[in-house]
Amino acid sequence: MRTKLAISALVAFGLMAVSVPLFGHHGSAVYDTDKTITVKGTVTEWVWANPHCWLLVDAKDDADNTAHWVIENAAPVNISPAGWTKNMFKPGDEVVVDVTPGKNLTATGKTVGRFKGRVVINGHVFKP
Amino acid sequence: MLKPFIAGTMAALGLLTFSWSMRAQTETPKQTDETKRNWNNDPTGNRINRSLDAGQKAGPAPRRDLSGIWDATATGGVEPAGVAEHPAVYPGDTPGSEAEAKRFRGGQPDEKGVVNPLPYTPLGEAALKANRPTGQSVRAVPSVLGNDPGNKCDPLGFPYMENFEFRTNELVQTKNQVIFLGQYHHKWRIIWTDGRELPKDPPPRWNGYSVGHWQDDYTFVAETMGMNEKSWIDHAGRPHSKELRVTEIFHLVDHDTMEHTEIINDPVMYTEPWMAHNKLILRRQPPDFDIREIFCSPSEIQRYNEFVGDPINPQEK
Repeated sequence: MRTKLAISALVAFGLMAVSVPLFGHHGSAVYDTDKTITVKGTVTEWVWANPHCWLLVDAKDDADNTAHWVIENAAPVNISPAGWTKNMFKPGDEVVVDVTPGKNLTATGKTVGRFKGRVVINGHVFKP
Repeated sequence: MLKPFIAGTMAALGLLTFSWSMRAQTETPKQTDETKRNWNNDPTGNRINRSLDAGQKAGPAPRRDLSGIWDATATGGVEPAGVAEHPAVYPGDTPGSEAEAKRFRGGQPDEKGVVNPLPYTPLGEAALKANRPTGQSVRAVPSVLGNDPGNKCDPLGFPYMENFEFRTNELVQTKNQVIFLGQYHHKWRIIWTDGRELPKDPPPRWNGYSVGHWQDDYTFVAETMGMNEKSWIDHAGRPHSKELRVTEIFHLVDHDTMEHTEIINDPVMYTEPWMAHNKLILRRQPPDFDIREIFCSPSEIQRYNEFVGDPINPQEK
């Protein structure tokens, strides 16, 4: 019984999940969806805009080189119901963000990725 | 330890989903203090997941009255891979799903092999290939390489405005008009109901010229023509000529449910008429529903491309 309920809930949740694709305009072709990279760094700007929001993070690697990360999210209208807000990041915030990286990371000065789950802001885990 | 937690979470999700679907079938909901008169109470927000009057059967449809706030977001009205009846995807692919994204096959030269292909004329096929869609169809390209008029904040025009990001819209009915107020890109259009006829060879417009009439007490039929050729039909880049005519059928099923059917007839691009929407469900939202803003801002798009769109494909520019 419980298994049945769990399965039907899974199916229902699956339908919900596919019914509102968050990245409908631009697709996922440019992202390597099998990979996850953890970006640790300092926020320089959080842009709350259409078509999609994005977060700028300066992250230092082990060799002390700074990578300028651009981390894409969906549109304000899609993410604000889950608790994302215009003021949740400020310049200077220390963040840890899991991202789906772009396929051409090495070819560009700006490393681009997409939010993929974990977001930690100044030590506090953000739970959408 | 983990298993009961997962089962519990799934059950909770199931109940949420169930209560959502139940709510959509109810009569105009009674509002709790917590939910009434909120700003930004969009269907993608908390409102739609709350069971306000779960379990009640929807009341009868109002007679000859389309007015209200109607949502298509939760019922398939997003269509990132083209119109609902003819998505440009291969069999087995679900547009927009993570699984689909993983095996994404964008960048294809044509639509060979897609489910439910369209009846293109040779001219239609050539026009299709000149359009470079983004999104999630088989021919989709990265956003920086696309030429979707909507992506650069050109007007979507009609019927593109209903075939991509249909989302949540308000219909206002006056003595002489049905007024469509759309959320996505803040668009509006007029369907005249004062008995006028469609114009003869009019100067083309983004939204064309629309007239409508009640076929019966619960079925409103609109005819639209005179669209310019700059707009697309959908997010898969389906083309149309200035000969395009669109028939829409708005059918009220009950108080909370409307079906939207849309038939495309363009003999220049297609060998026969075809359905873009076949009874696509629109769900009535509460009367205090405040639709969130989605503008297309050229300066925001420009900045988005500078930071996100362009850097991701520099060698392809």
